[in-house]
Amino acid sequence: MKKEWLARLLVLALVVGFSAAALYARWADRTLEVHAAMPEKGGWLPNTLTARADEPLTLRLISDDVVHGFAIGQSDQQPSVDILPGKPVEITLLFDKPGTYTYYCTRWCGPNHWRMRGTIEVEGDDSSLANDPSGPVAPPLYLMLGIDLDAPHDVQVDVTRQPSARRGAALDTNLPAEMLSREYVRAHSPYEVWQTLRETPAASPLSDADLWDLVARLWERSTTPDALQTGAQLYAQNCATCHGTTGAGDGVFAAALAGETSATPISPGLGHETVAPTDFSDPAHMLGASPALLHGKIIRGGMGTGMPSWGLIFTDEQTWALTDYLWTFTFQFQFKETTP
Amino acid sequence: MMKSSPALLRNAVFLAAALLVAFAPLPLPQTPPAERTFRIDATQFAFAPAVLTVNPGDRVTIELTSLDVVHGLYLDGYDLQISADPGQTATMTFVADRAGSFRFRCAATCGDLHPFMIGKLHVGPNTLLWRSIGLALLAMFAAVMLGMPRLRKA
Repeated sequence: MKKEWLARLLVLALVVGFSAAALYARWADRTLEVHAAMPEKGGWLPNTLTARADEPLTLRLISDDVVHGFAIGQSDQQPSVDILPGKPVEITLLFDKPGTYTYYCTRWCGPNHWRMRGTIEVEGDDSSLANDPSGPVAPPLYLMLGIDLDAPHDVQVDVTRQPSARRGAALDTNLPAEMLSREYVRAHSPYEVWQTLRETPAASPLSDADLWDLVARLWERSTTPDALQTGAQLYAQNCATCHGTTGAGDGVFAAALAGETSATPISPGLGHETVAPTDFSDPAHMLGASPALLHGKIIRGGMGTGMPSWGLIFTDEQTWALTDYLWTFTFQFQFKETTP
Repeated sequence: MMKSSPALLRNAVFLAAALLVAFAPLPLPQTPPAERTFRIDATQFAFAPAVLTVNPGDRVTIELTSLDVVHGLYLDGYDLQISADPGQTATMTFVADRAGSFRFRCAATCGDLHPFMIGKLHVGPNTLLWRSIGLALLAMFAAVMLGMPRLRKA
């Protein structure tokens, strides 16, 4: 009889012990599951997360349909990870500053891919912010200059040959010193600079086309090969799908954005207007725009055009790199893109 | 013993015919190797074009352009794989040195019907198919011929 009781106790202990262990393991696992689905099917679930500064946040990322990616905007602490269907990935994030962070999908998962974003609220005492050496963030240049992003900026220009920075450099003209600064270039459109040059006595022997070459040279001087390379990469990943690899506004989603194909409406029933993507190789459109204007458009996005806003995704440096790269569609720079 | 001799002969003839169908070298037209480039549009859930035909020895370049979500292309037999995001065309180049017909499939899970997103690469004529058809016809013919005497006896 005693042995039977012992056996019963053993069975009971095993049953309770195993269940308790399983429950404890589940409770102790603080991993948060985040599901990724195409934006039409809900996007990120959940799309708001909370965390505390200096406490690790572990996420298990699961794709419910197609290939997605995960990255944190304006931050390089988490390199982009791919989320393949059927292969959950776990990542651990550690935020050192409280604030609101944006996470976003990094692989084109459909025409509305860019809408797939979520926020992480990182709480913490603000004392760490007060000691932040980087200080408060300055407003973007277009706001400081008071540029209206939605004002039409097309100019009637007669550019018969593509302005070339190489030819501009070969002219070896003494340009006004103020024009040589990066700040000057960023605040002015090529057309404004060209007009100013046209009125400069030193430039009077030069033809109109030569002056455009000088403008191209000024624009090339204001950037670096590294920035252009970064811009090229960002452009390929985020812009080429609509604006096309050659910048001609003929990407794979261009026709749908222009409303030419009803088969694949970009935002069915959402009431969003879309227009054809801008053609960056069109001089009339580009030469009247200042870098600050393009920079602002990238940050804010185009209301009513279908252009996403990238202000929460790119760092200021990345946005400028992208802005610089856009000019390679209008001007000939001595820049060769290297494919990684 | 005397009776079995024509039967043996007949069997030998069928066997010889079968070997001929299976292994005889075909007088295939020899074409000099060429450069071939295909642009394949990938959408959910199809490749366009889905059937590529090249000659053995050709240098084949495949440009994969996705028109909606991330797609890939995995070529069976050659063990090659690329993947393309919309807006980022992916290319692969290889020499079609293995003759035959090979499947290619989407290499990135692209939705519910992803497993059915397939295409075909023909390198030269599909001799395996034609030889199999020939052997099957021969087997049918042989079955009829060899079965006849027994039918008559019965």
